[in-house]
Amino acid sequence: MVNPLYLFIIALGTGFLLSLIDKLYRSVSLILFYATLTAMLGIAGQWLVEIMRGMEAVVIYTAGFQAPYSINLRLGMEEAVFVFLANLVGLLSAIYLFNKFRHSKVNAMVLFLMMILGINGLIMTRDMFNLFVFMEITSIATYALIGINRNTESLSAGFKYIIAGGIASSFFLIGTIYLYRLTGTLNIDSMIASKELIAGNAGFIALFLALSAIVIELKPFPANGWALDVYQAVDSGVVAVIATASSAAMFFVIYKLMPLLNITMLDLLAGIGGITFVFSNLVGLKQKNAKRLLGYSSIAQMGLVLTALSLVMKGSCGIPPKNLLIIVVGGLFLNHFLAKAGLFWLAGLFKEQDTDKWSVIRRNPLLLFIFGSFIFALVGLPPFPGFWAKWELILYLAKSGQHFWIFTILLGSFLEAIYLIRWLISVVKDTVEQEVVLSFQKILPPVLFMIGLYNAGFLMIINYYSFNPLFFAPLMVAAFFFGIDWLPTKFKGIFTIAVIGAFAYHVVPQLDGIYQIFAVLFLGGGLIQLIATLQASGKRTGFYPFVIMMFLSLGILLKSETTLQFFYAWELMTVSSFLLILRGGKARNHSLLYILFSLAGAYFILTGFAYAFAAAGDINILSITNITAYSSVIYTFFLVGFLIKTGALGLHIWLPGSYAESEDDVSPLISSILSKAGIFGMMLVAGIFGKSLFGKIEISAALGWLGAITALIGTLMAIFQEDIKKLLAYSSMGQLGYMVLSVAMLSHLGWISALYMSFNHLFFKALLFIAIAGVISRTGTRNMCEMGGLIKRMPYSFISVLIAIIALSGVPPLSGFGSKWLLYTAGIERGWYLQTAVAFFASTIAFLYCYRLIHTIFLGQPKPKFKEIKEASLWYLIPQYILIMAIMAISMFPNLIIEPLAAAVNNYFSTTIDWNGYTVISSLGYWNGNAVMYVTMGVFALPLIILILTQRRPQLVKQFNIVFAAERPDRPETTHVANNFFAPYQKALGFLAYPYATRFWSAVSEWTQTVASLFRQIYTGNGQTYALHIILYVVVLYFISGGR
Amino acid sequence: MTLVSIIGFVLIIVGLWGMLTQNNIIKIIIGFSIIDTGIHLLIVSIGYIKGKTAPIIDSVLLKTDAVNQVVDPIPSALVLTAIVIGLAVTALMLVYAVNLYQRKQSLDINDFEELKW
Repeated sequence: MVNPLYLFIIALGTGFLLSLIDKLYRSVSLILFYATLTAMLGIAGQWLVEIMRGMEAVVIYTAGFQAPYSINLRLGMEEAVFVFLANLVGLLSAIYLFNKFRHSKVNAMVLFLMMILGINGLIMTRDMFNLFVFMEITSIATYALIGINRNTESLSAGFKYIIAGGIASSFFLIGTIYLYRLTGTLNIDSMIASKELIAGNAGFIALFLALSAIVIELKPFPANGWALDVYQAVDSGVVAVIATASSAAMFFVIYKLMPLLNITMLDLLAGIGGITFVFSNLVGLKQKNAKRLLGYSSIAQMGLVLTALSLVMKGSCGIPPKNLLIIVVGGLFLNHFLAKAGLFWLAGLFKEQDTDKWSVIRRNPLLLFIFGSFIFALVGLPPFPGFWAKWELILYLAKSGQHFWIFTILLGSFLEAIYLIRWLISVVKDTVEQEVVLSFQKILPPVLFMIGLYNAGFLMIINYYSFNPLFFAPLMVAAFFFGIDWLPTKFKGIFTIAVIGAFAYHVVPQLDGIYQIFAVLFLGGGLIQLIATLQASGKRTGFYPFVIMMFLSLGILLKSETTLQFFYAWELMTVSSFLLILRGGKARNHSLLYILFSLAGAYFILTGFAYAFAAAGDINILSITNITAYSSVIYTFFLVGFLIKTGALGLHIWLPGSYAESEDDVSPLISSILSKAGIFGMMLVAGIFGKSLFGKIEISAALGWLGAITALIGTLMAIFQEDIKKLLAYSSMGQLGYMVLSVAMLSHLGWISALYMSFNHLFFKALLFIAIAGVISRTGTRNMCEMGGLIKRMPYSFISVLIAIIALSGVPPLSGFGSKWLLYTAGIERGWYLQTAVAFFASTIAFLYCYRLIHTIFLGQPKPKFKEIKEASLWYLIPQYILIMAIMAISMFPNLIIEPLAAAVNNYFSTTIDWNGYTVISSLGYWNGNAVMYVTMGVFALPLIILILTQRRPQLVKQFNIVFAAERPDRPETTHVANNFFAPYQKALGFLAYPYATRFWSAVSEWTQTVASLFRQIYTGNGQTYALHIILYVVVLYFISGGR
Repeated sequence: MTLVSIIGFVLIIVGLWGMLTQNNIIKIIIGFSIIDTGIHLLIVSIGYIKGKTAPIIDSVLLKTDAVNQVVDPIPSALVLTAIVIGLAVTALMLVYAVNLYQRKQSLDINDFEELKW
């Protein structure tokens, strides 16, 4: 084993040698420089490996004396990890900066080495004064490195940094010397041992000064203007080290000093971190410069890590459970470290740093993949370490009753997600061009860190959570499909269908009850609809990987045995569906709304799970049954989360745009399948909670009303749409409202009705969306008023739409009648007369938009430009006719579907229906689907036969073979009233469809932006003002922390 | 608290005041130097024990008796390091001042506000 002191010795030695050798050859000095950094990494790596294998922490003495008479270093688990990471980022950044080092003066290399050396020292030393020395070595090297780039921006940023750093180190020195005065030692361990000597006012002030200096170095809001300038101005390669390794070292210093702190000070640190996390992210919302944005994010993330560490330490009296410390603090830290360094490296590829000028990434799949992975890691999505860390942290906070912190951390995370994902969307959607020079040494570091992130995430799953291998499937299979993305789309499509089929074949039989029902709904429905995606030609890069990821995550959602697995699957589903929606041509803003609402929903669900864990003490899904305390609060959290997915009124504003603007063959997937995940979630928690417990709770009544009103308003909104896909989207919203209503009834029949409607909606909405996709593919427009008379040209599509609207509207003989019958019966049985009446009213006015679908698109006079239009592609028609057969089957033989549904629901409620052949008998009446079908067919067939028999000579009507008020029209438009079709209704009922919710959410957004711009005014750019901020900050901290 | 520590604190406050109120970069640097000097005085004053002599062992001051006769040697050692570091930082600040002046022909800190928000 190499003595860790060699880390310093070789760095210093090389530092001195470099300037000599450089006089000979630059290449020699370069080799020496990189060899040194590699050797340092090697030493660190060797220790890390040994310590991971179980070696005890070592203490290294210097100068031949034992501590406390000499400076000693410590290398334990934590130190080894930090030292290794610091040297790693050092070496990679040096590789990244290869061109710079080759051409600039040798000083740059020397300074870089000194910076890394200082960081190593900060992490390992156990001596207060030595800490000061290493702090100064790191700082001075950094100041000088910043200054090497002699442009005004980095010079002025560097000067502000020196002022801030100078003040901080002055505080540290004063604090240290007084700590020495009180304890008689500079050794941290001895200080901890004689902690009681640091007492009274003097002790408090001494400790406070030393601590506040390190806090300042961690860039707390609002005393961090100088740091932002540094992040923005300095070369990416150097900033990557400052933002990660230097911050990590400072963070580690706080960790070292923590045993000296009392509970109040830990609270103070948590507060500092929390404020920094929330406000940096808030101000980041207004930021357009990529590197400064990353600066805000870095500062925020370090704040979060500080908060997490302080809270964990505080809750466990200084000796936190090792796993908690590793997963929460380690996970958050590693996540930030790898992703942020990677993003800063990426930023260095661009000349123009505006966040909306990065779109060139889009054309390079590798870059896009790296960038996306980093963004998702920072947002805290699986499989990245941040996801597991956030999960454990929130669970821990719920368990220890720190409610306010849950709110703060989730709020901050949400704000951060806004700007990060907005950036991602801008990269994918914007088209501003700028040149990017790619070179091996600039791509290698981010690639390695991305791989590191994935590995770290998977290692966390493997080490701490025993996940069924199936739970890796969504990511692994998606990765595989990325690998074969160069193949033609037809092949990938068929392959996708095959894989999902095999997955369904494997998973469905393993499930039972409503799990199995939903598995059939998700996977079976998906298989049929995916046939429509085969119409596409070309490569369709990046489509099938996300499709398959979405379906597999829906599958594992049903297989979840713990709440963590559920949440994991839920988040994977959210990400993959977001990426699918994002593909839509104009989906830019809508996809942002979708992911933000989904993330907020996921946070609600997370909070619900966390409190469920706190109440039940277990994360097994079934253990939720035992909850008695706060069950209504927990239930509300779940409900809000799931209602967002179903698009309940008020939370729906993401819905119409996302459904309408996604690609035409994606819309059916998300509207008819994905939305049901919310219904599944609601039934799952409701079913688990048990009727006895929350049947009494007023919440279910409120939920019922929400469902009914959503149905009504969704339908009304649908009526007034001109855009056909928007119409269908609002219609979906309304339909989901019925389902929410029937789930809320918490009765046997209500739940059968909810499941039945889920299937029925799956069939007819998929049918409609696919049929309409076919129509749009031919007409090239989504405005209904531009279509008309397509019945002759697209008869098969017409039949599909006709069948679908019959199934939708709830008239006999098709399945819609059954669903309405079940709904009304269940509502009346439950005694919810008013809600049922609202639902009835809604379903009546649904006729209005159903009518439009037929009238405006297929009937009337064809427009000249569509005279020669062709029927939709066969790939669109095949799934339509499969779906029609499904509708026919469940209409004719309702027990085909109702019996399994009833059996599943029997697990939760005792049965209230009876069977007599094909007849369902409820307490209020009976329904025989078979008979209804025959009667209706008879009603139609009879007049048809009579007409055929009596009308001898039917004549075909030509287009203008009509006369209005003695005038013969000569243009199709004059015969076909299509535009603004329901204007009178709009006058009467339009106030109900007024976008109140949209206005509310825009106000929230604008207000947030205003607050953000207000706060960022403090960053005046003046170095002196920043110095004042620091002084004031420390003074305020002093008084807050109880100093007198 | 000894007179020296009080002077040290006064210097720190004076230096801080200078850093916060003077617009001229050179004056800010001078302010920083004054803070530094104040801190050095403070450190030395911590180790001082009244009536004791410098911690240098020679023919007059014997090894065996040194403990009873000298001031605390550690702060004196520390102050040396602190002075060196302070010197380095001050020198670097001056380099920055020169470079900043070359960019804009100005030493007013208010002229270097390009980066903000």
